Amino acid sequence: MRDLAVAVAVQLFARLPWLGECWARRHRFVEASDVPWVRLGQPVRESTVALVTTAGVHLKSQPAFDMEDRDGDPSFREFPCEVDARALTITHKYYDHSAADRDINVVLPLDRLRELREDGRVGAIAPRCYSFMGHIDGRHLETLVQDTAPAVARRLRADGAQAVFLTPA
Amino acid sequence: MGLIQRAIETEGIPTVGITLQKTVTHKVRPPRAVYLRYPFGHPMGEAFAVRQQRAILEAALEALETLTEPGAIVEPGWVWRRHRFE
Repeated sequence: MRDLAVAVAVQLFARLPWLGECWARRHRFVEASDVPWVRLGQPVRESTVALVTTAGVHLKSQPAFDMEDRDGDPSFREFPCEVDARALTITHKYYDHSAADRDINVVLPLDRLRELREDGRVGAIAPRCYSFMGHIDGRHLETLVQDTAPAVARRLRADGAQAVFLTPA
Repeated sequence: MGLIQRAIETEGIPTVGITLQKTVTHKVRPPRAVYLRYPFGHPMGEAFAVRQQRAILEAALEALETLTEPGAIVEPGWVWRRHRFE
């Protein structure tokens, strides 16, 4: 029954953008007063760019995100940016990913970033992509903020990423 | 997503993200965002729309080079399924 309700809600939110804004105004978020900021140290054409998404993308060979927990799943998956898109899948019940299932670039622009690199518009692509399942709430928010998000940030630095592009679901 | 973006910027790497929900972005305040009034599940546009996806990625990367105000949100104003990407 809950699965049906989620499926209906997903279709409503996909078709009525104002519904999302209503939800956002009512929902409690971790609100911030300050904004972290570092300057890009070199032009994008000389930068190593990394991709991060919260669209629930992962390798078919990796464990799926936990969709049974109502507070979501704060863990992440990593995979090579040079991955064959056919090896990827999406586990996320809270948005309509039918378009992204057909073309992963709808949520994770792997091919577009490679094209910009070939054209010399981007210096290099970082070796790994990092992926979360964006529906994280309640007790898992602390795990995300204290543990998994900083862990990914450290890995990105170790990977040599000089700029990061993020995509939501 | 903004919380993850903030964590990465805090680690010292400049970040830019797509947002489909400006209300959330105003609360969470990631360093740089590109807002698109697109449906959930379409942060880069439509399937196989190469020009559209590329324009969105380029707008975001350009924001990394040009934005100087922390928390700024860029709004290209591309209307869903109406704007023609050349």
